[in-house]
Amino acid sequence: MSRTIIDLHILQTVPPSNLNRDDTGTPKTAIYGGVRRARVSSQAWKRATRMAFNSLLPPEDLGVRTKRVAELLAERIRRLDNSIEEKEAWTLAAETIQAATGSKIEVPKRKAAAAKKSEDNPAPESSYLMFLSTRQLDGLAGLAVEGRADIKAFLKDKDTKKRAKEIADTRHSVDIALFGRMVADGADINVDAAAQVAHAISVHAVENESDYYTAVDDRNPDDETGAGMIGTVEFNSATLYRYAALDVDLLRKNLGEGLREDESVTEPLRRAVEAFVRGFVESLPTGKVNTFGNHTLPDAVIVKVRTSRPVSFASAFEEPVTVTEDSGHLRQASERLAAYIPDIERAYGVEDDTDTWVLRVGQSTEKLSGLGTEVALPDLVTAVGAAVAQRAADQ
Amino acid sequence: MSVLALLLAGPLQAWGASARFARRTTEHAPTKSGVLGLLAAAQGRERTDDLSDLAALRFGVRIDQRGTRIRDYQTAKHLDTGRSMPVSERFYLADAVFVAAVEGDDTLVNDLHRAVRNPVYLPYLGRRSCPPARPLDLGIHDGRTLEQVLKEEKWHAAGWYQRRLRDQPEVTLGLLIDAFPGDPGADSLRDLPLSFDPLHRRYALRGVRSDTVSVPNPCARRTTPPDHDPISALGGE
Repeated sequence: MSRTIIDLHILQTVPPSNLNRDDTGTPKTAIYGGVRRARVSSQAWKRATRMAFNSLLPPEDLGVRTKRVAELLAERIRRLDNSIEEKEAWTLAAETIQAATGSKIEVPKRKAAAAKKSEDNPAPESSYLMFLSTRQLDGLAGLAVEGRADIKAFLKDKDTKKRAKEIADTRHSVDIALFGRMVADGADINVDAAAQVAHAISVHAVENESDYYTAVDDRNPDDETGAGMIGTVEFNSATLYRYAALDVDLLRKNLGEGLREDESVTEPLRRAVEAFVRGFVESLPTGKVNTFGNHTLPDAVIVKVRTSRPVSFASAFEEPVTVTEDSGHLRQASERLAAYIPDIERAYGVEDDTDTWVLRVGQSTEKLSGLGTEVALPDLVTAVGAAVAQRAADQ
Repeated sequence: MSVLALLLAGPLQAWGASARFARRTTEHAPTKSGVLGLLAAAQGRERTDDLSDLAALRFGVRIDQRGTRIRDYQTAKHLDTGRSMPVSERFYLADAVFVAAVEGDDTLVNDLHRAVRNPVYLPYLGRRSCPPARPLDLGIHDGRTLEQVLKEEKWHAAGWYQRRLRDQPEVTLGLLIDAFPGDPGADSLRDLPLSFDPLHRRYALRGVRSDTVSVPNPCARRTTPPDHDPISALGGE
């Protein structure tokens, strides 16, 4: 079977910023090539990408991650049948989710105790964050309404139980298919993430800096001098190398499982790939973004469609890039990549079968222009989506 | 018997042997369970599939570049309620390079080699956010033992690291190899995977023997000092 893997490589410069900080407020770092580098964790960038999906994809393609699945499902149940009271809907929802996922749905003990004292009626919750797609919720709501008369007996039936499980395990939302789902006690409906995102690291050595600030009290009486408040904010500036690999075959499996016979997975697959490429390229973790206003876009993006295994180019930057009189970090990083990519692909014999697109900005990235087809972002997104859909259709 | 050697290098790696809950630690070298997991994933085995053939492979690892342990502080928030989840700590090995090897039956080792070059599930160095930064495959070595391969493989530390030790024509690297039964000097680690089933992960104890090996440093300075005899300039006998 022919294999499809996409890898994305991005150079992005961020001015003074603190995109992703540790418990002391310091920007995260790593050691690479023997020197300290700026680092933005993979989790931070995955979250930023997932948030970007909200504006890239229709809601029915997305999922919700919550402990309050019962409330969420109950709302849907009542939309299907408005004769159902809220409390009954909660019970129907809890029973259905329990049957579908194997996870306990109950009123948290603390809330139950508090409710005894007051008149409140707390809703049952799952003990873990559950990640369900809109389509799955719709399916489960339908099932709950169907078994409304005696929900427990209805779900005890082997075939119904199987249906419930199938609904929870099929038609995964795009974000679940890409980034996975873990339900701690319903591991049979776990989804392995199709996307692999690396921690972004700077291509050069970085020292964190500290900004000492004072704030003036506007209504300070004359006889009292000095600042109303003082503090420090830590930051650094960096040219980051960002890398992600997307296992298109796994994504296709995640999206396609449970589709009806007459439904083709090609279209959902294309949509998901396009959303991932655009979302990963354009998104930015929001850490301290209002303090530093570091809204930048990537200076260079290289996308490759591969047929055997993904290749990260992080090694190109193992020796840190340095600034010279006539060349900054970005120019040198581009030169490194331009030399490294053909070199490693030749050495491992993977260059012949690789479609490559390059998006680049400005003179500093000139050296990258020979590596592939030069495109702007909308065309890049469409081209990668089309290539993936074509390969999927050929199979 | 054949040996498959792998190069494990990347900005970050994480090899947990006993990490649970919110504190995810890493050992200072790749674990057998981690590397077997990588191989099993490359073959496309599911988490619930049988692992006994892989667990029976002899495993060893050489520490080519030690790396630095770094701590990552991670927070998570409910996307719909905005509430914070428990903070977790993840530890990584930054800037490390290892050579790992497995020894076993020819057919299985050859199959693993093919899988590493065309992996079904994408490889990572102990944690999904740690992709390898250099190709993993160091090839199959027929008719050699695990120890021989780990001793003869060239030094894979980064250029800057080799240059830093240029005063040493030979460098000494640590080895951690599966102990033979009854080996008195062995440490034990709960690191032999019996099942990766997420509902019921199981590991058995594994004996680990430490050793060292010397390999040549390609960046070493010439060892013979240059010919230097200032007295000869003064003439004489």
